[in-house]
Amino acid sequence: MGDASAVTATGLVKKFGGRRVVDGVDLTVPTGAIYGVLGPNGAGKTTTLRMLLGIIEPDGGERSVLGHANPRAVSDSIGYLPEERGLYPAMKARDAIAFLGALRGLDRKTGRARAAAMMEEVGLGHAVDEKIRKLSKGMAQLVQLLGSVVHRPALLVLDEPFSGLDPVNQEKLEAFILAERDRGATILFSTHIMSHAERICDRLAIIAGGKRRFEGTVDDARGMLPQRVLYTPRDPGDAVAAALPRDAVRDGAVWRFELPDGGIEPWLATLIERGHGIAGLSIERPGLHEAFVSIVGRDAIEAAGEPVAPGMAA
Amino acid sequence: MSGHLRRTIRQTLTIARRDFVATVFTPIFLLFLFAPVIMGSFGAIGGMGAASVSGGSAGKTRIVAILPRAAAPTIAAADTRLRAAFRNPDEEPPPLTTVDPTTDPAAQARAAFASPDYDASAVLYGPIAAPQILYGPRGARAAEYLTLLAGETLAAERLGGNAPQVVATKTQMSRATPSASGQHESAFFAVFGIFFLTLFLSGQVVGTMAEERNNKVIEVLAAAVPLESVFLGKLIGMFGVAVLFVAFWGTVIAQIGSLLPASAAPALAELVPAVGLPMFALLFGTYFTMAYLLLGSVFLGVGAQASTMREIQMLSLPITILQVAMFALATAAASHPGTWIATIADVLPLSSPFAMAGHAANSPALWPHVAAIAWQLLWVAIFIAVGARLFRRGVLQSGSAKPRWRRAKPN
Repeated sequence: MGDASAVTATGLVKKFGGRRVVDGVDLTVPTGAIYGVLGPNGAGKTTTLRMLLGIIEPDGGERSVLGHANPRAVSDSIGYLPEERGLYPAMKARDAIAFLGALRGLDRKTGRARAAAMMEEVGLGHAVDEKIRKLSKGMAQLVQLLGSVVHRPALLVLDEPFSGLDPVNQEKLEAFILAERDRGATILFSTHIMSHAERICDRLAIIAGGKRRFEGTVDDARGMLPQRVLYTPRDPGDAVAAALPRDAVRDGAVWRFELPDGGIEPWLATLIERGHGIAGLSIERPGLHEAFVSIVGRDAIEAAGEPVAPGMAA
Repeated sequence: MSGHLRRTIRQTLTIARRDFVATVFTPIFLLFLFAPVIMGSFGAIGGMGAASVSGGSAGKTRIVAILPRAAAPTIAAADTRLRAAFRNPDEEPPPLTTVDPTTDPAAQARAAFASPDYDASAVLYGPIAAPQILYGPRGARAAEYLTLLAGETLAAERLGGNAPQVVATKTQMSRATPSASGQHESAFFAVFGIFFLTLFLSGQVVGTMAEERNNKVIEVLAAAVPLESVFLGKLIGMFGVAVLFVAFWGTVIAQIGSLLPASAAPALAELVPAVGLPMFALLFGTYFTMAYLLLGSVFLGVGAQASTMREIQMLSLPITILQVAMFALATAAASHPGTWIATIADVLPLSSPFAMAGHAANSPALWPHVAAIAWQLLWVAIFIAVGARLFRRGVLQSGSAKPRWRRAKPN
């Protein structure tokens, strides 16, 4: 990872019809990092990315992309996969990739050669000369993804790249993103699926209601919630409750409670002393999903039409 | 050339190439290319039908002279002499039929209009020096001709049956300077030619942005390329299609032109524009380009706001009206060079290419064309910038980009 920031945004604001859909968002994407922008639907993720790409102009705030205040000045060094995928249906797959490269300054001949090689690499070699309209949705999406990197950009922006992909292709995409990072590219992507972000992000920002609610590493996010203890006594009765912290909740044979400030050891000593025994014990760190729900708020997530796992902290 | 400009040109040409290829290498393009054949075929079929109907009735139409048999050769000879003045058969009066008079020529003349053998257009009877001429609803010109014919016949009779033959020496002259009528005809030809071509071709650009909107490619384009380059690229791409169309049909028409009879040459020789033929051809091509770019940029900008094919189709009528209005204005300017209406047509951006093409036929000065082309280019840039801005605001839902001078300078 380099020292400089590939992308910075300071107080970005965008209003649609008087409504502030992005309201003072700050981002700092380190060079060479995989940076996730997380948020529920309608949080302002796509609008933020579009402002950083120069597709739309912010109503307020400052941005710097690859060292330039105007993203257009470095458009040849940026790759972009929009949320709404789109290719010309009558184009052949190889030509579509070369065309996307040509828009970013790659000569057509090189683009076509790279396109064929890249398609071969991802298992689409048989479809090089197929027209886009004949490809499956997943294949077309992969073609567009290849088109976004064929010119070997320094910054790759992916808007909801995992949506619409089956689990196998999602896994392939994760590997693809990691490979791009290893190549030296900075990757900025948006998602509302926490598992991908948890696995691959070096840093992330959580946006909700147009505002940035969190910025840091995955560990930082998870660390915002206390660890939890899952304890199973040998004695299945309720008498053990008197020896547990007040927030302990029974879930079948298992008791759950937050890891106490003084650690678990004093409590364990008491439990053993009182003869409740230890049939099972584990200390869990909260996942990114739980941290996300905690940061954004259950109501905001439900308002965005997304499911919230039961039992999550709000 | 600066890096920014070079990149803009490269991006514009990438878009242009994509649009050109996507348009030309499709079966539909053949239909478009040969549309004039289809149109011409329908026209020819209609024309043949009309000619058949018209020829059927014209073949039976006659002018009738009720005269003593002795006068028949004289009037026939006079008729032959007079008909030589007509340039083509369509302009000639109906054929002459002479009929011997009965005891009541007036009744005979009236009865001629009910004759089952022919359709009388006009009927002459009575003394040749003061004949009576009856004519039907469309026979006024035929009646005039019969009057002239009677005079010619009378002169021949007075001179003993043989009118003196004038032996003239005819020498065809070529003009040192273009004739006023030739210039006007050239001007009209130029205005009409550009109107005809742009009417066919510039409307094609209206729906081109719809493809990107429907395929959602616009997001990728907008991220990689300034919208102005997208618009200009699409315009250039479709202009390439138009040039291909014009080149194809220009070649075909040139070949057909070489097959025209030699008698057509003098008529064409009259079409001498004031700036000379080579410069006129160059200006015609330039003004066709400018007319296409001007109208195309307006249509592209307006069409880009439409989101459905229905909306695009709804735009075709106002577009056609706009083009016809510009044609009418430019035609008026070509007919009245130097007047205020000509000045308006020359200056108004959308009529300027048409009017200036006519101007080239009417005036030998070249500097107005340099100024006009620069003026028109400026308006192409304005229309594209406005179209892109409206698209950015309306479709991409963005505020306007900051003016270049207010943007932070690249590091």
